Amino acid sequence: MAGPSQASLLLQKQLKDLTKKPVDGFSAGLVDDSNVFEWGVTIIGPPDTLYEGGFFNAIMTFPPNYPNSPPTVRFTSEMWHPNVYPDGRVCISILHAPGDDPHGYELASERWTPVHTVESIVLSIISMLSSPNDESPANVEAAKEWRDSRDEFKKKVKRIVRKSQEIL
Amino acid sequence: MESDDDMHDANDLESVDEDFYSDVTGEVSDGGDAECDFEDDLSDESDEIVSRHQQNYTVLNETDIRQRQEEDISRVSAVLSILKIQACLLLRHFNWSVSKVHDEWFADEKNVRKDVGLLEKPVKMANTGEHKCGICFEVYPRNVVSAAACGHPFCSSCWKGYIGTSVSDGPGCLFLRCPDPSCNAAIGQDMINVLGSDEDQEKYAYYLLRSYIEDNRKTKWCPAPGCEFAVDFIFGCGSYDVSCNCSHIFCWNCTEEAHRPVDCGTVAKWILKNSAESENMNWLLANSKPCPRCKRPIEKNQGCMHITCTPPCKFEFCWLCLGPWSKHGERTGGFYACNRYEAAKQEGVYDESERRREIAKNSLERYTHYYERWATNQQSRQKAFADLRSMQSDKLEKLSDIQSQPVSMLRFIIDAMLQVIECRRVLKWTYAYGYYLPEHEHAKRQFFEYLQGEAEAGLERLHQCAEKELQVYLEAEGPIDEFNDFRSKLAGLTSVTRNYFENLVKALEHGLEDVGPNRQPTCTKTSSSTNTADKVKKAVKSRASGNGSRSAPATSSWDSHWMCEQCTFANPNSASACEMCEH
Repeated sequence: MAGPSQASLLLQKQLKDLTKKPVDGFSAGLVDDSNVFEWGVTIIGPPDTLYEGGFFNAIMTFPPNYPNSPPTVRFTSEMWHPNVYPDGRVCISILHAPGDDPHGYELASERWTPVHTVESIVLSIISMLSSPNDESPANVEAAKEWRDSRDEFKKKVKRIVRKSQEIL
Repeated sequence: MESDDDMHDANDLESVDEDFYSDVTGEVSDGGDAECDFEDDLSDESDEIVSRHQQNYTVLNETDIRQRQEEDISRVSAVLSILKIQACLLLRHFNWSVSKVHDEWFADEKNVRKDVGLLEKPVKMANTGEHKCGICFEVYPRNVVSAAACGHPFCSSCWKGYIGTSVSDGPGCLFLRCPDPSCNAAIGQDMINVLGSDEDQEKYAYYLLRSYIEDNRKTKWCPAPGCEFAVDFIFGCGSYDVSCNCSHIFCWNCTEEAHRPVDCGTVAKWILKNSAESENMNWLLANSKPCPRCKRPIEKNQGCMHITCTPPCKFEFCWLCLGPWSKHGERTGGFYACNRYEAAKQEGVYDESERRREIAKNSLERYTHYYERWATNQQSRQKAFADLRSMQSDKLEKLSDIQSQPVSMLRFIIDAMLQVIECRRVLKWTYAYGYYLPEHEHAKRQFFEYLQGEAEAGLERLHQCAEKELQVYLEAEGPIDEFNDFRSKLAGLTSVTRNYFENLVKALEHGLEDVGPNRQPTCTKTSSSTNTADKVKKAVKSRASGNGSRSAPATSSWDSHWMCEQCTFANPNSASACEMCEH
C-alpha cells in the first residue's frame, strides 16, 4: 500500500542495492540507522571539473510520501555553486514536485517523478557540479561570479575543495 | 424580463434619437466639414446602439456546461477520428477551442501529438508473465500492473499514490504524464477513473469542468459569491454588461460589477484607490494639512511652525495660520506661536467652517466628495434591492388585496423599482467618472455635472415616489381613488428618469464629445417637439453651448489649477504635464 510503509520499504531496498553494488562517484548510507528517511551521501568532485578532488557531504531527507514527492538535498560541506543556496540546499529541477509549476515552464522530463531513485538524484547533482545552470540561480552571488569573473569563482571553488579534503 | 423591457425601450428611444439627429443634421448641413463628421459619427453611434441591446451572451448552468463540453469533445473526436479521451486531452491543451484544435492538428499532427502526449502507436504490455513496477521495483502479476499508452508498467498502488499526489496539487493534474521521466505520454481521465481513489476521481472531474470555463477565452464564471453559473460571451458587439441568472450584473471584461458608461480602466483605478486610500485618507485628514499653495498634504513631524513645502513648490508658510512665512517674525510670536492665528481664532475667523473651507481645497477633500456620493448611491441601491425583494415576495399581493387590483396591473411598481436600481448603479459610477474627469476641461465638466444633476434629480423624484408615496396605498384600509393617478405618476417618472439616464450614459460613453475642445456645438435648435428625451437634449445642448462658447473665468484658486492624477500635485492650468512627477 501507499504510505510510510511503501516509502521505507522502497528506501531500504535502494540502500541494500547501493551497498551491494556501489556506484562510481558517490557513497551513500543512513545518517542514523534507525531512520531510513535521512541519508548521508558523500559526493566525489567529478574529474575534469573545478570540483575535482573534493569530497562533499550532503544530507538527503525523504518525505513520508516518497516516492510521490521528492526528497530535499542539502550540502553540509561548504559549497560555492550557482545552483546551491547559501545554506547548502540543492536547487535542481528534478527535485521540484511537478505541482510547483502547473504551467510547465520546466519540461515534464526534467521534473520530479516517482521513478527517480537515490542513484538518479545523486547523478543529477554530479552533473550539476560539472555544468552549472546560471539562468535560474539559487546563489545569485555565485552565479554572477561564474558568469563575470570566472577566475574569482575558480579560486573560491579551489578553496572549498581543499577544505573538504582536510576534513577527511 | 428586465432586459426585454430595456430592449423595447431602447428601440423606441433609438428611433426618437434618429429623428432628432436627422433634424439636426438637416439644419446644419450648410455648416461645413465639421458637421459632416458629426453626421458620420452619429450613424456609427446608432448602429452601435442597435447591436448593444441584442443579447450577446448566454448564461450556463452546470448541465449546460457538461453538455457543451461533451459536444465539443464528440465533435473533435469525430472529425479527427480519435478516441474521446484523446479529444478531451487535445481540447484541454488548446484551451477548449475546437477551431484551434482543428487548425493545429491538420497543420502538423505529429507535433501536436508530441506536445499533448498522444502516442501514434500505443505500446501494449505483454498480456502474460510478470512485470516490474518502475516506481517500487517490485515484481507483480499482470493484473496488478497498468500502463498508459506508452506501456511503462507501474503497480496499482504506485499509480494511486502518483495520481493522488498530482490531484491534491490542484488543476495541474489535468496535464498529468507517465511517471517515467523520459516518457511524454499523457494520462487521461480514463486512467484516473480506473486507478485513482474515488475522491481523486471526483476532484479530477471537477477540475476538468472548471477548466472548460476558466481556460476558455469565451467563458467566465459569474463572480458573485456562491454563484455557480457561467457566462458564454460573444465578442465584437455591444457592451460588456452581463446579467447572470443569479441577478448579479457584471462587466464581462473586468468582472467587476457592471459600470457602464464608465470604462474598465477608470473603474479599476477607482477601486484600487478606494481600497488603498480609505484608511490612508482618514490618517491624512487627521494628521496633515494641505500646503496652502500646491495643496499637497503635509505632515508636521518637527516642532517648528515654519514649514517649507518640498520642491518644486518650496512655499514657506506658518503651520498655524497657513499664511506665508514672509509675513511672520518676532512681532507675530516667532517660531512657537502665531499671534495672527491666536488673534484670528479669538475673533472667530478660524472657526470650524472656516477650517473646513480651507481644507475643501485639499485634493483629499475632493476625493471624499466623490467617494461619499459613490458609496451612498451604492447603499441606496442595496436598499432598493431589498425593497424590491420584499415587494415581490409579499407586499405586492397585499397591495393587490387592498386596492383590489390584479397583480399584473401593479407591474408598474416593479418597473419603477428596477429603474431605481439600475439608475443608482449608473449614478454611482458617474461619480468615479467625475473624479477622473480633468479639472481643466471646464466645458466638459459643466456639461457632465449638468447631466448628472438632472439625472440625479429625476432619480430622487422617482425614488421618493416609489418609496414614500407608495406607503399610503400599502397602509390604506381599502381602495383609494387616487391610486390610478399614482400609477400614471410613477409610470411617468419611471420613463422620464430612464430617458435622463440614457442621455447621461450616451454622453459619457462618447467622452462628452459634444462639448469637446475640438467640437463646439453650433446647433441650438428650438423647434417644438413633444418628446421628453428631445427636450432634455436640447436643454442640455443650448446650455452646454452657452458654457462652451465663453471660457469660464477662474472663480476660485482651485479652478485655476488641475490636479495630477498620479501625485495629486496641483498644477497651474498653463502646464500641460505635471510639474511634480511629469505625469
